[in-house]
Amino acid sequence: MIEVKHLSKSFSGKQVLFDINAKYEAGQCSLVIGRSGSGKTVVLKSIVGLFEPDEGEVWYDDVLFNRLGEKPKRELHRSIGMLFQGSALFDFATALENVMFPLDFFTDMSRSEKTDRAHFCLKRVGLENVDGKFPSELSGGMQKRVGIARAIALNPKYLFCDEPNSGLDPHTSVMIDKLIQEITREYNITTIVNTHDMNSVMEIGDKVVYIQEGHKLWEGSSKDILDSDCAALNEFVFSSNLARKVKNIK
Amino acid sequence: MIRDFFELVGRYAIFMKKVFQRPRKWRIFIKQCFVQADSLVLGSVPLVALISIFIGAVLVIQTANNLQNPLIPKMYVGYMTRESLALEFCSTMICLILAGKIGSNISSEIGTMRITEQIDAMEMMGVNSANYLVLPKIISATVLNPLLMLMSYCLGLIGGYLIVTMTGIIQVADYLTGLRYWFEPFYIYYSMIKTAVFSFLITSIASFYGYYANGGSLGVGRSSTKAIVVASASILIFNLVLTQLLL
Repeated sequence: MIEVKHLSKSFSGKQVLFDINAKYEAGQCSLVIGRSGSGKTVVLKSIVGLFEPDEGEVWYDDVLFNRLGEKPKRELHRSIGMLFQGSALFDFATALENVMFPLDFFTDMSRSEKTDRAHFCLKRVGLENVDGKFPSELSGGMQKRVGIARAIALNPKYLFCDEPNSGLDPHTSVMIDKLIQEITREYNITTIVNTHDMNSVMEIGDKVVYIQEGHKLWEGSSKDILDSDCAALNEFVFSSNLARKVKNIK
Repeated sequence: MIRDFFELVGRYAIFMKKVFQRPRKWRIFIKQCFVQADSLVLGSVPLVALISIFIGAVLVIQTANNLQNPLIPKMYVGYMTRESLALEFCSTMICLILAGKIGSNISSEIGTMRITEQIDAMEMMGVNSANYLVLPKIISATVLNPLLMLMSYCLGLIGGYLIVTMTGIIQVADYLTGLRYWFEPFYIYYSMIKTAVFSFLITSIASFYGYYANGGSLGVGRSSTKAIVVASASILIFNLVLTQLLL
């Protein structure tokens, strides 16, 4: 479980997050949605410690994360997996080496055990025969899947995904969404996904938090979205003609 | 401006503290040192060799042209070439050239990793990214570049020898006598110490600017340029300080 209390953040005097409160349960896919520039990524990076919040608390189960020192924070990071918007695979390493990277650092496994574990993770995300390929030789969807495989290599308790569908075709997007959802349930991970993709919201959103201009305006499940009376959320969700038609039919 | 300077020095000091921590796995660290030695030091051998041979040759011609007085023995051409190479060229000049080559390489490599979130990905795994990426570069360059300086010194002298034999600008025997005349071994140590310090400055400053790059590819370019300028200026300042201290 991850809990965020009164989170605020500003950059160069400009406040971008205002008093965000949210609770994310284990075994659920929690989605943070909002327009581009609404502060989703800042929320995510503040929770994982890549940004230092100005105010507020971030709790990982019973640990107050943002008050930890550098070393304990690093220890806790080992139980976190993260999929970045651009995959952030290491250019200097092959797909297999990317997945083995955290294993090299934090386990005492033998070379063959690490290779087996990396193969297992790659297979779990539906990738085989990509061992020797460098990130530049992989498609966007494959890079995302290698990113997920790397994120789950150390059996994380928490998984963060920043715009996992950006730049992907609808079919691959659905596949990545399903993968994230399956992994979340399979390993009882606390998963937080940043997205503005409404398909993802409807497919995997066990819990959805809507953010606009740094303020949390709405929270609920994906099913509640269709019946919400939050005007800002409705404007965001039903911004396309198709979505409005779907709502009218409903 | 003064405040900005001290802020920059403070950030650099904090960065260095992050870099100089005990590596989590020595095996990975040593492997990285070899990788960086190959890329930063061995990769610079052809450039350094080429420059050294030609500069050695040019130094001989220039010195010979400036020592036309028949009262000055011709062996001083060899002597002065040797001293110029040992005291200044092989350490300061080579390191200024390396500041451009290695500095831009390191800064753009780490800067690209920063803007493509690869460094964030390492931090998210609990890896000390500064330690993993930067320390092997600093160690390999600081330890091995003095050997590169020795190689440059030898090749500079060989370049001088080649031009003497090819042009006959002075007698080969005079040149060789000059090379052996009043040899001060400390000058070699002095030059090696300078090279080690300059290599530390080049790698750490370039890494620092790359590590804090922002603003996309333009930002990487800017950080790369800044790294070269600051590293070169630092080399010149430390050259003065070390010369005053050591000689």
